[in-house]
Amino acid sequence: MSGRLAAVREQARRAFEDTGLPTTRLEEWKYTDVKRAVAPFADTLLADTPVEPGAVDADWLHARLLPGEMSRLVFVDGQFAPTLSDLASLPAAVSATTFSALDDIELSLAEGPLVNGFTHLNLARFRDGAVLDITAGTDVPIYLVFVDSGTGAVSHLRNRIRLKQAVSVPVIEHYIGAGDTPGFTNIVTDIELDVDAVCTHYRLQQESPKQLHIGRVHVRQARGSRFDSHAMALGAALSRTDIHVEMQGEGAACTLNGLYLTGGRQHTDHHTRVDHLVPYCTSREYYRGVLDGRSRAVFNGKVVVHEQARKTDAQQSNANLLLSQHAEVDTKPELEIYNDDVKCAHGATIGQMDMEQLFYLRSRGLGEVEARNVLIFAFADDVLMRLPLDTVRRHLEKAALAKLPHGEEIGALV
Amino acid sequence: MLKIENLHVSVNGKEILKGIDLDIGAGEVHAIMGPNGSGKSTLSNVIAGRDGYEVTQGSMIYNGRDVLTMSPEERAWEGIFLAFQYPVEIPGVNNVSLLKAGLNARRRHQGLDELDAIDFMRMVREKARLVELDDTFLGRSVNEGFSGGEKKRNEIFQMAVLEPKLAILDETDSGLDIDALRIVAEGVNKLRSPERSIVLVTHYQRLLNYIEPDVVHVLMDGKVMKSGDKSLALRLEEKGYDWVRREVAA
Repeated sequence: MSGRLAAVREQARRAFEDTGLPTTRLEEWKYTDVKRAVAPFADTLLADTPVEPGAVDADWLHARLLPGEMSRLVFVDGQFAPTLSDLASLPAAVSATTFSALDDIELSLAEGPLVNGFTHLNLARFRDGAVLDITAGTDVPIYLVFVDSGTGAVSHLRNRIRLKQAVSVPVIEHYIGAGDTPGFTNIVTDIELDVDAVCTHYRLQQESPKQLHIGRVHVRQARGSRFDSHAMALGAALSRTDIHVEMQGEGAACTLNGLYLTGGRQHTDHHTRVDHLVPYCTSREYYRGVLDGRSRAVFNGKVVVHEQARKTDAQQSNANLLLSQHAEVDTKPELEIYNDDVKCAHGATIGQMDMEQLFYLRSRGLGEVEARNVLIFAFADDVLMRLPLDTVRRHLEKAALAKLPHGEEIGALV
Repeated sequence: MLKIENLHVSVNGKEILKGIDLDIGAGEVHAIMGPNGSGKSTLSNVIAGRDGYEVTQGSMIYNGRDVLTMSPEERAWEGIFLAFQYPVEIPGVNNVSLLKAGLNARRRHQGLDELDAIDFMRMVREKARLVELDDTFLGRSVNEGFSGGEKKRNEIFQMAVLEPKLAILDETDSGLDIDALRIVAEGVNKLRSPERSIVLVTHYQRLLNYIEPDVVHVLMDGKVMKSGDKSLALRLEEKGYDWVRREVAA
């Protein structure tokens, strides 16, 4: 490791010790208390000695991977696993490597909105992650798989994705886990889009049921670029995903779509922030959630239209379906506007099963359970339908159906 | 087919139906007319099994079975169909897939094999023509973005596909212009058969110009005040509901 990188990491360690982990006293963490979830990792959080990653069975893994032709980088317990990866179809124009393979890379202490103790901890202790430099477009998705082997690992991971001018690429981040020993995934993804670049970013969080998942995606967009995010949260005991998009060049556009499906005592938190810094940028946000059991979801979508950002066009919506009277949603779409010449709209809903719709379906011959499942699935599918990659959409539809009682029976209806 | 005796129904503790008697034979078309608030929709909904209605007295026997103990889907499987007064929009649920699932659920209930997909689609297209719904409606979500008239035509299309033994058409004529009314009425007429009973619930005599009923009932204040042949509807149109009230009082 270069002296420069070592110095930044030491700076981050000190920043972490100053800040500590976020508490519910912070506005951005008001509804998400990480104290209990982090407790099992008190001794290993800052550990700086490499730990051997747990074993992952190749067949087990392949049964959980997305099918289809992709360039795949697999990380197990925070470290690159070359034998499970497949870079054969990687186009020449994509340089893919991992942080562990690099001696030096320019990183700096994170600042600004949605930066917290986890962010500093990540910089201080990350061991690995994908480094992608994309100089020509490709339709073959770059598939980043992060596996928790079920050995209680703390995985600080970091991805850096850079798209050169006018290139287009789909990138998938897929989180999966084995067993039910609590592990901790703490990941930061930095994405930079050059002029007119297009990145479709999929984030599939299907961690195992006791996992703690903290994710941050930070995006910087140059003129005319487009960032489409599809953030899906199905797994983990507690998961938090922050997405921060800075629109730095005129005419940039971003779409943030998301879906969370929770049950039991799961807790999921999505915070997004879009900074419209310059004129003529468009942002769209569409998140939906289905909550069962005693689960809890937090959604906070903030759009900030800065003084210079005339002709901004921003829309946000968050809709929630509560299946249980013990489930809870805290949703807050926020707009901060410092320019008059803009078009902005936002809205949030929290509702229960529509009894009129339920009766209509039953009156046509659908059994009660089937009718309920059809309505739940249709609600969630409204987000899944927006997934451009068929293979991802089908995978998630299956995963969503598997979460419903007798879900397989309604497969034919959708 | 359907025999209702002394049916009393309350909604939120308020009695809406106060002793209904009706006897609908196989193949008959009965019109139930009445002013607003007379209990017409309550009667339709109770037959189809909607929640929120409390039957406090009386019985409802359909083909020898007690309907009141059956779930809405069981009633559908047994051949009861309600064309909704306000058809619900269900985004994300495909119109035709719903019918296929409904039909197959009924076939399972009857111990029959599920339908062949190709035969089913052929049948569906044929039935759609009955109410002049073009094929694009088949691929859409249930009622989503349909105009008022399209929604009502879709209800009759669903009836055609599901082939009920007892169809209740709850104000299917309301909100229809004259052309849509004609299309809907012709569709219903084509579905008349000796095995199928139809109950037309309506405000107006207008629908009965197109679909000729065997029996007309006047429902007022939660009771069947008067029954007669189709000429009763014409007299009602001419003299108004107060005429029935006066005549019963006399």
